[in-house]
Amino acid sequence: MIKQVLLISGIFIFLAIQPLSAQIITDNQRVEEQLLASTKQLNQFFSRFNGEEDTRGREFEPDDRQYRNSRLRKRYLSILFDEENAGFSESLFQEFVDRVTSDADPVFLSLRSDNWFAVVNTTFAYKGKSVPLTLYMQIQQEGLGYEWVISDLSFEPYKSLFNKQRGQTKEFLHPMSHELDFMNLRKAMVKNGSPESYTLADFKPDFLTLFLYEVKMGHLVFETVNRVNFHFFTVDGWYFSLSNFNRPGYNTGWLISDLLKINAQQKQDLLKLLYDKN
Amino acid sequence: MNRRYNQILAVALLTVLTAFSAVAQNAVDPNREKAIDSLALEKVRDLGKYIKIIGNKNTPYTEATRVMDRAEELFAPGSEMGVSSLAKEEIEYYKVREYFRRLMALNYDKVTIEWYDIHYISKLERQPDGRYVGVVTIYQKFEGRNGDKLAYKDTTKKDITIYVEKKETQIAGRTIEFWDVILGDIRVSETTI
Repeated sequence: MIKQVLLISGIFIFLAIQPLSAQIITDNQRVEEQLLASTKQLNQFFSRFNGEEDTRGREFEPDDRQYRNSRLRKRYLSILFDEENAGFSESLFQEFVDRVTSDADPVFLSLRSDNWFAVVNTTFAYKGKSVPLTLYMQIQQEGLGYEWVISDLSFEPYKSLFNKQRGQTKEFLHPMSHELDFMNLRKAMVKNGSPESYTLADFKPDFLTLFLYEVKMGHLVFETVNRVNFHFFTVDGWYFSLSNFNRPGYNTGWLISDLLKINAQQKQDLLKLLYDKN
Repeated sequence: MNRRYNQILAVALLTVLTAFSAVAQNAVDPNREKAIDSLALEKVRDLGKYIKIIGNKNTPYTEATRVMDRAEELFAPGSEMGVSSLAKEEIEYYKVREYFRRLMALNYDKVTIEWYDIHYISKLERQPDGRYVGVVTIYQKFEGRNGDKLAYKDTTKKDITIYVEKKETQIAGRTIEFWDVILGDIRVSETTI
């Protein structure tokens, strides 16, 4: 059913861009209609989500009666979901659309919205090999404008590097070490050892600092970006993610690929999962 | 003492007002933004024309080199092209000049480059240094032929960075302010179309 709704909406867009006179559709026209329907930039996702542009991507003036019109937004929202792999029910989809287009408390998105971030899957050269490394990026205000910054990262070699043991089996500096001028540090601080064993109980490694150090030292060298996704917790009680769908057809570009209704605990669990902190 | 204090206060107030006025002047009003969009599109179309000439096998080497110089002038220094294909999703990075040279050296008898009549211009966002930045998306159709045979074809999406900056010039002794547009990095991705 959700696919039918999406299909009908797709047809709406399709019809909206047709000239009134009947004509034979050439290959070029077909391609251009598909390109027009595609959500080509995240910026366009925001504009369609908010109902701030027409079907040809032209911005409405704020005093235009179509600007942020909730009927227009509902039509746009139906084409902003990935219709091929949508794993959520029609009722969930409808509830979300009703929530963000409600007359009393509508939700609009922009680059400056709170609680969203980008996950950037990259490849770096590390110790002679190309290895995957995930960067978590956020928009922040700085100087006269805004900038994207790295807020965190996930890197497999770091995760196992500080696997600190606790309790009876861990390595330690015995409690009388001070009487020997801590001469046993010599045996603790060794290459390929477990120096993290000799830290405070609540020690948490700061991977971002480590990453920056290794980039500065030339140990980690950027190679390429493989994939980008965006994750939104901007709508209270909801989570959705955006992926870029590069495929033939009218349902392409930046689309909502996941949609979940979440409570506060589920939000924390999901954030842990997305940030690879489990 | 009081007079001196008042003087300092007046100077401080004037400085703040000047700063505020500078910030206000630097904002892009919506009507001006449309004019900037047109200017950006003009530059993107110029780039399109230059790419067609550089890629055309009938263009003499000296002419292609001259056009490459002109095309390079459209860009901010250090701009790069990040290219990916359907077969290889990792992005490969080329300096603009290197990208043009590779385009010129393609091993086809005939190269046809056309542009779809579709473009999308993002809103302009201000960056920390006060300049504005936006992205223009366009689509390019490429065909390479050897003899009469179609050897390769693709359609690529080009997301082109545009930087917008307020500049000043002197005309007949008067200072005139204007908005200038310069191109930046371009992300080139092959589409399935």
